[in-house]
Amino acid sequence: MGEIVINKLSKSYGEQYAVRDLSLTVIKGSVFGFLGPNGAGKTTTIKMLVGLAQPSEGTVIIAGGSPIQLSIREKIGFMPESPAFYLYLTGREFLEFIASIFGITDPEKKISELLSEVGISDAGDRQIRTYSKGMLQRLGLAQALINDPEILFLDEPLDGLDPLGRAEIKRIIFTLKSQGKTIFFNSHILSDVAEICDQVGIIDKGVLIVSGTPEELARGYRDLEDAFVHIIKTARANTPTS
Amino acid sequence: MISRILTIAKNTFRETLRDRILLAALAVVIFIIGFSLFIGSISLEQDTRMIIDFGVTAIYLLQMFVAIFIGSMLIYKEVERKTFYLLIPKPIRREEIILGKCLGLTATTFAVTLLSSIALFAILLMKGSSDSILPILLSVTMSTVEAVILILLSILLSGLTSPILSAVYTIAFFLIGHSSEILRSLIMSASSVVSRVMLEITYYLLPNLEKFNIRNEIVYGTIPNIKALAFALCYGIFYSALLFFLARLMFKHKEF
Repeated sequence: MGEIVINKLSKSYGEQYAVRDLSLTVIKGSVFGFLGPNGAGKTTTIKMLVGLAQPSEGTVIIAGGSPIQLSIREKIGFMPESPAFYLYLTGREFLEFIASIFGITDPEKKISELLSEVGISDAGDRQIRTYSKGMLQRLGLAQALINDPEILFLDEPLDGLDPLGRAEIKRIIFTLKSQGKTIFFNSHILSDVAEICDQVGIIDKGVLIVSGTPEELARGYRDLEDAFVHIIKTARANTPTS
Repeated sequence: MISRILTIAKNTFRETLRDRILLAALAVVIFIIGFSLFIGSISLEQDTRMIIDFGVTAIYLLQMFVAIFIGSMLIYKEVERKTFYLLIPKPIRREEIILGKCLGLTATTFAVTLLSSIALFAILLMKGSSDSILPILLSVTMSTVEAVILILLSILLSGLTSPILSAVYTIAFFLIGHSSEILRSLIMSASSVVSRVMLEITYYLLPNLEKFNIRNEIVYGTIPNIKALAFALCYGIFYSALLFFLARLMFKHKEF
């Protein structure tokens, strides 16, 4: 069953298309890796999936409804790329604030667990302005998990993390996957994508070029990274320049 | 719905109160109120009047600072620093965010007004002048209503433009809003019908902020007209509702 169903999705700014005719389905309980070079349309797509931007054309169905509906948003967790916070709040206060929007009563235990899970329990009572980039990434992931979401959208979740941090976040993603969560995952760190994802889609210049399992895509190439480079180059060579 | 609005309001209140700029402005105002004791002491038996004049004006300026400058930064910072990316995909409506932000900043305005008013009342009680406390309370309440209008105006404008331009435009509205009488006399003296109609539209469209100004009356010990105050209050509520509606409209269609 499709948990995320994208049908002929387009986003244009004037004459320029950021995303064009994108259609794909993400199966419930799977991890989908959305890959593409910088400016390919990955973030624009994820913004439309979580209701930050309105599609120019096409539809998005998440858990059987529109991402605009509040009842659907209750099932969603979203971590944006390089998340920004209210700098004068502590990490714990910020999570309390987000928990309160979800109407979660007595969130203290959940918050302590999450802070510990993402590895910033020592910094929970410090103001966010004192956090390093890696700690902000971890807090970004914690806020996305506060409502125990069924579907997670992660935009470059491993960006800015050292190898140790990346390993920890990957471990959390594997745990979430084992719990049956559906994860939509933007990244350009291809080795991690190959390790984590069940399905992968490659987008360039707003158009989905190919999708399949990492193994299928990497067949005939050294690895997924090699396949990615060849697929993008071939697609660009075959695209008539306007 | 109410709980979500209150959550945003509480967060805005907490975040703005911890802002060092606000705390510095509050410290300056409390210093000015304290300084009014000295100014009063060198006046010719007008010390209480000088203290009230200085104190009420300082509180008013602080309220306008919060409304115009912190208000202008409020939405812009969220958009520019992308904190909205964490908020918008949550189960909350955009109008709830706007209303919560406005309520939070109004609470901040109220808190700094309360603190600086307490400083002023302490000085007045020290001077044995307790009968001016009620009129001062009336005056700061009216200027708080004015601050709410300017907060909503700043929120509306900061969603459309940069914080500097938003502050400049809000200051322009503030100045025009206190020049309604000049506008009125221009309407009277306008020779052509077109300019008269244009001036009348401007007069009725822009807020008449002088309706909330009773500072001169309380300094000179005149009791303000209760009917006029009630009318000003209703006018403030109506104008705030109109600005909220416009801000909601702007925010509803905003892309991030």
